[in-house]
Amino acid sequence: MDSKDNKIAERMGINRRNFIKLVVGGAIGTTLSPLPWKITDDIAIFTQNLPWVPVPPAGEYSYAGSLCTLCPGGCGIKVRKVDERAVKIEGRTDYPVNPGGICPLGMGGLQLLYNENARFTGPMKRTGERGAGSFQSISWDEAMNILADRISGLKAGELAAIDGNLKGSTMSVVIERFLNSLGSSDYIKMQSSQETMDIAANLLTGTRGSVGYDLENSDYILSLGSGLLEGWGSPARVINAWSIWRSDELKGRVKVVQIEPRASNTASRADKWLPAVPGTETALVLGMAHVIIKEGLYNRDFIDNFSFGFYDFETAYGSYRRGFKTLVLEDYSPERVADITGLEENEIESTARDFASASAPVAVCGRGKGALYGSLYESMAVLALNALVGGINRAGGIFINDPLPLADLPDLPTNTSTGSDLKNGRIDMAGSRSYPFSQSLFNNLADSILEGNESPIDMLLVFSANPAFTAPNCGKLRKALEKIPFIVSFSPLRDETSMMADLILPDHIYLEKTDDMICPSGLQYPLYGLSRPVVKPLYNTRNSGDVMIDLAGKIGGTAGDAFPWKNFEDVVKHRVKGLYDAGDGLTDFDGVTPPWGTAGSIASPGYSSFDEMWEKLVKNGLWYRHLDRGRNIETIFNTKSGKFEFFSSIIESALKDIDVKILGKNASNDDICMPHFEDISPEGNDSFPLMMYPCELINLASGWIPNPPYLNKTLFDDQLKKDNSFVDINPDTAAEYALKQGDSIIIESPAGRVQALVNLFEGAMPGIVFMPLGFGHSAYDDFLRGKGANPNEIIYGKIDPLSGQNIWWKTPVRVTKL
Amino acid sequence: MKETEVKKHRYGMVIDLDKCTGCGTCMVACASENNVTVRADESDKQRSIAWIQLYKINNGEKFPKTQTCFFPRPCMHCEEDGNGGHHPPCVSVCPATATTLDENTGIVSQIYTRCIGCRYCQAACPYHARYFNWWDGYSYFKPFPDGMERSLSPDVSPRMRGVVEKCTFCHHRLMRAKEIAHAQGRTEIEEGEYIPACAEACPAQAITFGDLNNPKHKVSELIKSPNAFRLLERLNTKPKVYYLSSKEWVRRLADNYLPGEPVRGIND
Amino acid sequence: MENQDHFPDKFTEKSASVKHFFYMLISYLRNLISNPMRSGLAYFVVGLIAALLVGWVLFPMALYSRNHQPVDFSHAIHTDPDIIDGIEGDTEAERCSYCHTFRDDGSFTGIPNLSKCMECHDDPESPLGETAEERDFLEEYVANLKEVPWYRYYEQPDCVYFSHIPHVKNGEIDCSACHGGHGSTDSLPVYEKNRISGYSINIWGKNISGRKTNTWDRMKMDDCAGCHTINSHEENNGCFVCHK
Repeated sequence: MDSKDNKIAERMGINRRNFIKLVVGGAIGTTLSPLPWKITDDIAIFTQNLPWVPVPPAGEYSYAGSLCTLCPGGCGIKVRKVDERAVKIEGRTDYPVNPGGICPLGMGGLQLLYNENARFTGPMKRTGERGAGSFQSISWDEAMNILADRISGLKAGELAAIDGNLKGSTMSVVIERFLNSLGSSDYIKMQSSQETMDIAANLLTGTRGSVGYDLENSDYILSLGSGLLEGWGSPARVINAWSIWRSDELKGRVKVVQIEPRASNTASRADKWLPAVPGTETALVLGMAHVIIKEGLYNRDFIDNFSFGFYDFETAYGSYRRGFKTLVLEDYSPERVADITGLEENEIESTARDFASASAPVAVCGRGKGALYGSLYESMAVLALNALVGGINRAGGIFINDPLPLADLPDLPTNTSTGSDLKNGRIDMAGSRSYPFSQSLFNNLADSILEGNESPIDMLLVFSANPAFTAPNCGKLRKALEKIPFIVSFSPLRDETSMMADLILPDHIYLEKTDDMICPSGLQYPLYGLSRPVVKPLYNTRNSGDVMIDLAGKIGGTAGDAFPWKNFEDVVKHRVKGLYDAGDGLTDFDGVTPPWGTAGSIASPGYSSFDEMWEKLVKNGLWYRHLDRGRNIETIFNTKSGKFEFFSSIIESALKDIDVKILGKNASNDDICMPHFEDISPEGNDSFPLMMYPCELINLASGWIPNPPYLNKTLFDDQLKKDNSFVDINPDTAAEYALKQGDSIIIESPAGRVQALVNLFEGAMPGIVFMPLGFGHSAYDDFLRGKGANPNEIIYGKIDPLSGQNIWWKTPVRVTKL
Repeated sequence: MKETEVKKHRYGMVIDLDKCTGCGTCMVACASENNVTVRADESDKQRSIAWIQLYKINNGEKFPKTQTCFFPRPCMHCEEDGNGGHHPPCVSVCPATATTLDENTGIVSQIYTRCIGCRYCQAACPYHARYFNWWDGYSYFKPFPDGMERSLSPDVSPRMRGVVEKCTFCHHRLMRAKEIAHAQGRTEIEEGEYIPACAEACPAQAITFGDLNNPKHKVSELIKSPNAFRLLERLNTKPKVYYLSSKEWVRRLADNYLPGEPVRGIND
Repeated sequence: MENQDHFPDKFTEKSASVKHFFYMLISYLRNLISNPMRSGLAYFVVGLIAALLVGWVLFPMALYSRNHQPVDFSHAIHTDPDIIDGIEGDTEAERCSYCHTFRDDGSFTGIPNLSKCMECHDDPESPLGETAEERDFLEEYVANLKEVPWYRYYEQPDCVYFSHIPHVKNGEIDCSACHGGHGSTDSLPVYEKNRISGYSINIWGKNISGRKTNTWDRMKMDDCAGCHTINSHEENNGCFVCHK
């Protein structure tokens, strides 16, 4: 029985057969249950909604209107928000500058706001080596104490500031006032071609206002290297004007002529492209003037009634002076100009005739985006050309506007205890005997600091600027920065200059703060823009304006007295009060009647008290006047003669004080006072046979604001490849050096060397290497760092006569294949 | 439950290349509107994503006669030929029915959660309008900078890796316009209430968008122009994106013409 | 030819073997059933029942996480015009939309935020704090102006586009068609979330077998598509109608 029982037990127990039965039962049971089916379904759903893919939270939509202050263009923007998050930037149709459109940089602005890796999230102080970028977070109190203590210990003249804020903006006024209140005059503005043009306008018209171009009403646009489609002026405004010229109504009736050595977007899309040798544009303008004068095509009414110095004249002392007419007729025959510029003689003549016979021609200048200096005599020549055809303050011409009627800040307390540096010269030599007309000469800063054994300044404040990257010959500037004992950066972004700073007091990014803008670059009608925060500050940052006011209070004394306001907004309000008192500005735009249109001004400003105006200003972000065509040109010229001066009496009277050696060696005394061409050849020799021309691209931010990542999408594969940027070279030139497409080359100038790839481009003038500005960052995050080469590293050139600004468009270089 | 008759639309786009300045705002507007991802190396054009891509062409002439021209290329939203024959090339090859031609709007849809990532559509599309997500767009592998996900729009679903994406004519904007219309008691939207982000952003107003079924709309006028053309016309994909250019060399580059063969307009 | 001759024989052989097989099977089964232990049937049955238990009982319990809402809420009280002053309207939709409002742009607010609650519950000292739940709500959220972190029963996945307004306002569909009697409940149900897919049981189906008896039992794609293809309007069921 044992064996039988055992057998039965064996059969009943867990044996192989029974185990299989159990499993089969389990399998059938599982199949009949929802488990496998539901799990399969759920896993499928899981894979469609992977948990690490973010789900953007929904919420209430709203639009916050403001102003884009990323460039001097001042476009109106509206930010789409979902609850508190900003999700998209769009152009405002109720803003006159950029009706609806916006440029790619402005469109990508949210990536500057939200990119935590490229921003400072709070005040910091340097811990490691200069430039190593190692910082330690500190509190605002500590940061302010460090700064106030150090400033209090400074002697007169040891404090300087570099300011990239827009000219005339309240922020720039506050910074300059802060410096002045401490007895320092070393307030250095970053470069811009508008600056050069404004000096030229002052010299010829006596008005220190802003120069604008009535592009929308013009029918013949002569652009001297201005990147009208590369981000010049207000990019969205200029492109909008372009689409007006190309609209069905005007198609074929508006001509655009681009003078530029490279087939840029503008040159390609223009009706005529004249590739003049870089730096000879002045000669071309004067050559055109020659044709216009010789053929009697100029505006006699304007010349005879509103101009001075066109004809030869006798001074009060009986000396005989050559006038503009003689200068141009004697020196700038088309034959000679063709020789200088490399253009055809008949092309110069026909362009001149077309220009003069157009009903509303305008000549514009300012190379590229206009973010670097222009050339003073060139700007004067452009003004003179516009004047020749009577295009000053006339529809479709150049407009010279009075400064905005903003209220001045009260005079500084006179008993400055800290010193009398204000009377002494500036570190950048602007306004000195050598450069009497410039207010600021950023390019001289490096030389002055590097000159002696010790830096003449102890402390440098940097606002909204990244000179370590954007300065031509920035290697030299970085050396100078290294020599300055203490640098304070107010940048919200981790830029190259901040990496060299000792103390970081981060500003808000533009979408988080109150800021203002005076007359966007190149705009023909007066406009004041006010930008308001559209989101709450994300991080522990503070508006630099508020920081300066607090700092002044902390330092006390003259600085404290200079700032009786509670905060930055109060200063803005103080100034805006002047606009209210002027009594005639508009604070809303209906989207239909553009200020440059023919409808004329709307009489009623639409507000009756300052508070009401302020409210509207905050809401709409602008104050403006319609283009004042009725303004009598008899009263706009504030020169000695009361006229437009082809022969500048301002220069003439300053001549006795000018250090003449700084002027062109070929210029006679008469010529110095008039627009004339000086051949400023770079100190090239046989070892640097080529020329490097920095070019600007609309989809590559080249200034203080870096490219937001989305803009990198728009770069073409002949502009950037992995970590290398391309340079455009004409195939014929490339052939001389046996260069093929994509070859890696070293470009070397007396100032330095950079590496880039070759892009063979038929549209590039032979003999010139075209390098895009904006590549080659060494700071920020992975999206910007180490991409391409920065032409600023190798820019090497002479000084522009009279203005003292640098010539950055002619760098002698040689290329070597790697 | 109420039934409403649905009106059929054929949304299309006309891009005036004489006005286009090549600024790239359309690309940035599109990326920002549609939560398109961005990587540190965007120069790798086979891996980067751009629903509307700006192309640069030039006339090949020697200095100083060289001219460049730009043309933005969204999804062409190809049409079927009406005989039940041709579908958009991507639609007919998709094994997962992840992309279809919407009968009411003419928009070629792309459903990421349905896409299996085989990239057959990418191969089929003659316009390179389709892009594959080689990486997750956000956070996990951190191709997107820290904090940037805060700017994502809830209107468009962020994509995961392994799926194909493309231009949708900002379809979500149509849905929003409809929602607003419903709130105002309408079932149909007005012309102009719905335009894609690129058309809205273009500072040169080069892009006109509207219903090609509406003979009164500007798009219907513009496509009658002798300068109007479509890309690769003779593939018979019937794109709903039209271009205008007064330059013959530009129009010539739009299709594979033989040397000396005359350039045809769409109306020829 | 040869093969054809042999065919009938083979056939008979085969039918005989089939018969034999059935005979064996029946005797085997008889043996199985009469001696469940000895034959091992019990093992099969145990496996079967265990698997069914796991699949039908344990699995659904394990599949869903269960969470109570941070604050309890009675829809019944808040939709009663006799109790709440502001509630007006004859239709259910009008009563619901007192709190679940449409914005001007047609978008739907969904779960109201705290400010909506505070239109009535605005004061920590308010006499509305009668029950413990109300007091907690006032003390923790209203007093601190903190949004209540509600669990959302009807949250659709991110790939879905759904707009209430064409359905409710234009299509005149009752709220209860999709949300059932949610609006007349006295307290909030436990929030059950699918641990794998991450979505609420209210969306992915209350019945584990996928059986649907009421229109509001489930809101998956087929449920939407069912309505959208009604009267064979296939074109109203385009992918982009409901996806984004």
